[in-house]
Amino acid sequence: MSRRTVRIAMIVLAVIGLGIASYLTYVHYAGIKPACTAGESCTKVQTSVYSKLVGVPVALMGLLGYIAILASLLVRETETSRFATLIFTLAGFGFSAYLTYRELFSIHAVCEWCATSAGIMTILTLMSVWRFLRGDGSLQAPRIETGEGPRAAQVSAN
Amino acid sequence: MSPVEPESDLTRKQRREQAREERKAIEEASAAQSAQRKRLIQLGGVAAVVVVIIVIILVATGSGKSAPPTSTSPAAKTAQGEVVSLLQGIPQHTITLGNPNAPITLQYFGDLECPFCKQFTVSALPTVIKKYVRTGKVKIEYHSMQTATRERETFQTQQVAALAAGKQNLMWDYLELFYHEQGEEGSGYVTESYLQGLASQVPGLNPSAWSSARNDPEYPNQVIADAQAANQNGFTGTPAFMIGKSGGTLKKLEVSGFTDASQFETAIEKLQKE
Repeated sequence: MSRRTVRIAMIVLAVIGLGIASYLTYVHYAGIKPACTAGESCTKVQTSVYSKLVGVPVALMGLLGYIAILASLLVRETETSRFATLIFTLAGFGFSAYLTYRELFSIHAVCEWCATSAGIMTILTLMSVWRFLRGDGSLQAPRIETGEGPRAAQVSAN
Repeated sequence: MSPVEPESDLTRKQRREQAREERKAIEEASAAQSAQRKRLIQLGGVAAVVVVIIVIILVATGSGKSAPPTSTSPAAKTAQGEVVSLLQGIPQHTITLGNPNAPITLQYFGDLECPFCKQFTVSALPTVIKKYVRTGKVKIEYHSMQTATRERETFQTQQVAALAAGKQNLMWDYLELFYHEQGEEGSGYVTESYLQGLASQVPGLNPSAWSSARNDPEYPNQVIADAQAANQNGFTGTPAFMIGKSGGTLKKLEVSGFTDASQFETAIEKLQKE
């Protein structure tokens, strides 16, 4: 997979995540019930004590997180920008893991919006780790030719 | 000078070139390895920081269950202050808040454990009360409808506790306090001590009269009648509303959000013009 393809795929995922977080933030502040196929599960999650952290709705935190990820993907790609994406996605992944834990073991209800966002964040994290470790390719270890290979051939040609 | 010399010179040159290339390749490989090592260290560092932060959040948020309110807790004091200033001086009669002869009636169907009802009660309702109920233009009747409360028995017990406060014309104080101090849905926070704790916070409520009123057989029937009315109105969730001219036919009031009073204001003002 080329670097460009990975970057575009990450931008698309971040935009979808941003859409989900925006909708959940709107639902929170408008005081309406989120559209949910799993009955009242989303409402239960959205109105639980865990829907806020230090008074800030977690949906808003998600929204800001996706904006940060998207911004780090849209700036000119450098080692620093890849590192920034890595930091944001890892933080988002950790936070999604915490929220999923709360859904399963504290609230006992799973919100499909949150689960989708957690899935997107997991894929984004894996991609950003791969992208960061791969670097820009300029420092890839070159093949060191030794022994009797090309050198021997060159000498014998002379 | 032998004829082989230029050839051997060239070979030496080639060898030097080759050696230089090899050195360069080794240096590049070592630079790549060190960059990779640096990236792995950075990755490990960020992952470790994230893990530490998540553990701190987990510990800090704990079980998340809210303790039953006590009349002396700071949260209860704040709620009490808000409720007293909101309702003070407004007439109450059993389930009704406001002037009994108000020209417009708003019926509010709620479940005391429903988070959206809490949202409505603490956000939009105070505006309606201040603007229309306090001025005698609208009266509000509170009716029950089971939605968020899991057990039927708990639903009836808490609703009867509120209705019993209505015998002393203090039902609105009781239910406002209930909503203000509402606990986590489904956590089983509604216990006897919770209900009594709320009663102790209602200013002017006679506790023994309230306790004996809770055994009044009329109240469970009222809960059943409310459920039938909610069913007839076609309500599927709470909070739900009916509005109309007092003594006339009330119509269902559909609202898209529960934090904003504007849709209630529009409906009331439309009725005032009729």
